[in-house]
Amino acid sequence: MNVPPKLDLTSLSRRLALGSAVALLAMASSAMAVEYSEAPALADLVVEGKLPPVAERLPTNPEVVTPIESIGTYGGQLRYGLRGSSDHNNILRMVGPQGLVRWSPDYIDVIPNVAESFEVNDDATVFTFHLRDGMKWSDGEPFTADDILFNMQDLVFNADFAPTPPRYMANGEPAKVEKVDDTTVTFTFAAPYGDFLAELASPLGQHPVLYAKHYCSQFLPQYNDQIDELVAANNASDWQNLYLAKCGDIEIPARWGNAERPTLDPWVAVEPYTGGAVRVVMGRNPYFWQVDPEGNQLPYIDELVSPIAQDVESLILDAIGGRIDFQIRHLDAAANRPVLAENREAGGYEFVEASPPGGVNMIINLNLTHKDPELRELFNKKDFRVALSLGMDRQAIIDTALLGDGQPWQQGPFEDHPNYHEKISTQYLDFDQAEANRLLDGIGLDKRGPDGMRLLPSGRPLKFQVDVIPTLQPEQVDMLELIEQYWAEIGVDMDVNALERTFFYERTSNSNDHDAAVWGGQASWVPGEIPQQLVPVHHDSRWGIPWSRWYNTGGAEGEEPPASVKERMKLYDQARATVDPEKRRAIIHQIADIAAEEFEVMGVSKAVPTYGVTKANLMNVPESMPSSWYYPTPAPTMLTTWYWAK
Amino acid sequence: MLLTYIIKRILWTIPFLFAVSIVAFALIQAPPGDYLTTFAATLAQSGDMVDQERLEALRTRYGLDQPFIVQYWKWISGVLVGDFGISFEWQQPVSNLIWERMALSLCLAVSTLLFTWAVAFPIGIYSAVRKYSIGDYVVTTIGFLGLAMPNFLLALVLMYIGVVYFGADVGGLFSPEYQTAPWSWAKVVDLGKHIWIPVVILGTSSSAALIRIMRANLLDELNKPYVTTARAKGLSEFRLLLKYPVRLALNPFVSTIGWAFPQLISGAVITAFVLSLPTAGPLLLQALLAQDMYLAGAFILLLCTLTVVGMLVSDILLALLDPRIRYR
Repeated sequence: MNVPPKLDLTSLSRRLALGSAVALLAMASSAMAVEYSEAPALADLVVEGKLPPVAERLPTNPEVVTPIESIGTYGGQLRYGLRGSSDHNNILRMVGPQGLVRWSPDYIDVIPNVAESFEVNDDATVFTFHLRDGMKWSDGEPFTADDILFNMQDLVFNADFAPTPPRYMANGEPAKVEKVDDTTVTFTFAAPYGDFLAELASPLGQHPVLYAKHYCSQFLPQYNDQIDELVAANNASDWQNLYLAKCGDIEIPARWGNAERPTLDPWVAVEPYTGGAVRVVMGRNPYFWQVDPEGNQLPYIDELVSPIAQDVESLILDAIGGRIDFQIRHLDAAANRPVLAENREAGGYEFVEASPPGGVNMIINLNLTHKDPELRELFNKKDFRVALSLGMDRQAIIDTALLGDGQPWQQGPFEDHPNYHEKISTQYLDFDQAEANRLLDGIGLDKRGPDGMRLLPSGRPLKFQVDVIPTLQPEQVDMLELIEQYWAEIGVDMDVNALERTFFYERTSNSNDHDAAVWGGQASWVPGEIPQQLVPVHHDSRWGIPWSRWYNTGGAEGEEPPASVKERMKLYDQARATVDPEKRRAIIHQIADIAAEEFEVMGVSKAVPTYGVTKANLMNVPESMPSSWYYPTPAPTMLTTWYWAK
Repeated sequence: MLLTYIIKRILWTIPFLFAVSIVAFALIQAPPGDYLTTFAATLAQSGDMVDQERLEALRTRYGLDQPFIVQYWKWISGVLVGDFGISFEWQQPVSNLIWERMALSLCLAVSTLLFTWAVAFPIGIYSAVRKYSIGDYVVTTIGFLGLAMPNFLLALVLMYIGVVYFGADVGGLFSPEYQTAPWSWAKVVDLGKHIWIPVVILGTSSSAALIRIMRANLLDELNKPYVTTARAKGLSEFRLLLKYPVRLALNPFVSTIGWAFPQLISGAVITAFVLSLPTAGPLLLQALLAQDMYLAGAFILLLCTLTVVGMLVSDILLALLDPRIRYR
């Protein structure tokens, strides 16, 4: 099949991205003169008088999206598979979090999305968003500043509904949200908050524009006197439950469970995602607010159709049977690659690369806040951690457990990323067991038991377990088993402790009962992403759980961390306040300097790209895209511009 | 006599179901963590993250931080008035989710049972009467294969053959156009076109087992003096066979109803999972894995009720068929 070459979006330089953004603005103004066109099915509805003409459905200034390869044609379905349970974020990733702003395709800049433009004042306390004039919800009702006020004041800041996410607070105070006019809204914070835009671009930051006031307000007691009757009529337990069932929330399946709920998304639920559904169909939103440079209303593709497979294995069968058009999630495990590669011809698909911007797939966290004082003292000695790092042959582990796919790496973004930090990524990567033994002997571990394993100063054998969830990434267990052998060679007795996933959470993040644990460590330290391996501020920072609790509760719970950690927490707060990317990067690198000096956590191998499938005649799909939840893959590559070659 | 027997049996089911509800609820609660920890862990598996504050708020809203007995009371007091609670995962009333799936499960179970009988009855008789004939050996071999092969494996193999050689999708119970359509005659016909695959897959092992039982039972009877007597008196071989020894050998068929229901529904979980059938099994398994406890609890309670009803029906039929059971 003859397929035009595809642009590699990740290789776009920053300047290029900005350049195209300028070009995009220029085209936006010229687009006004253009006659808009629409999908044939919608044109028919217009003729029948069931829909207003396309020019009335679009905002006066729709976003002009330039496809990466070519202008498309309308029609067709995009099929991807859903897992039976808790796979709502798969839909989210395909439809895209249509927040005020979004990430650029290369995952480096935050660019306008639902908002037409935004401004930030110099000290990053006031954020002004300009909405598109004449923009509409998917049912044709106008979308205005009042909707944002409704979302923020009646829901985000409504403690009866849910606690306010810290995302909308600075210095412990919620933002002040004000309507300037129908298309202008300001968010004012009590303290500088440079990361706010990135927070809004993440899939969790869609709250300001999530709910349509004219529809969702009927489920709130302050708008509806008869709410109790409505709750009873719907068999709901309370108004909150009714609200969630009807309007959903960012990360619950019910978000896609009500076909009546108006959205700003390119595709809206036709056959919703409900308990017991066997497939989900999302049809095009006739009021979607993007056009291509020729004035064709996006999206090109009519429907997203996703059969629900109870079992990931049957998704693979669907892919090789050619019944999946695009899919990375669930299919991209390394173990599936051979079978997917073998059936490329039969299934009519090509590989699409999802490449992590940095970090490792397995990061080892010794519990520096261990409940056992002797182990805690030992784990807190840097020489011990360095010895463990030098004691394993990373290249051999990569060759054996990862089939040669990888490169020794500690943590942090890769060399080609602006946030790259050489020392923290590449120190102590050598395989030098002699030096490791010397270091271990030097910290009072020179006595050995009858089995050749080292003894703690108290005479107790040195022995600890590394907790791992085997189902998360099966390779982690293989890697740990090899590490166990290497560490035994330097007299350190480690056991791999495979745990069921909820038990793992309970034992590590909740009760801090673990000796050590491993976790995925993909990271690029961009705004909005939590650098949990640099500074313990998250329940996935398993090297200092009580410290992160101390940070997150303002010192009320947990344990006061040592000075070096406190310093990094202070810097992290500063980084979050900083709006200038260069200044923010400097602060993050300051944190990384301290973390590199302390060397608290260790990785094994670079997170390598994974591969999903995309049909050969599905156009405008980049060959490679950033892989990250915060991005979230593949939404910012603009699925609205994908189309089927005729 | 029979009536008091039935009433007694029905009365006994009440404390039984009560005990079942406690055990079911305790089992659902037994794994570490709760719905929300599982939720966070499932999302982590796909690289997604959850807002920690929202989780904590939901935990309080759902009452997951309360003691076992309080949660149980909240659940069972609702069930008694027909309110099965809310599914955490889907934010929908459990009763909206379960009925259609339970009905399809029941339909599949009954069809499979009928299929099993239809296959096992004639073949069992044949292989007993023509003991050690070539036909008997062939049937026995097939039977043992059916017994030995797990259902889900058969399902996987059939699916693979279907996809690779016929380009057809053998999963599901409906064609795409009928999946979400309201019930109609055409939809029932469509169901009939699809249901035979899971019926055959699920029916093989139980048919094989029944064939063996039928054969063994019949062989015991065939050598008894009354058979020889009847034959000596000139009764036709066919009539003789069906009227006396087969009737005696029928007991296991009837008693299968009792255990066939739970076995077909719980045993069908993995097969239904593999074949993506819209029956109760996959939703139950999901609910259990997600610790969506009200949904899982409702399913388990209903399955237990079905089992109890199945047992009751089979006991009554047995009592009708075999007078010895009534008088014991």
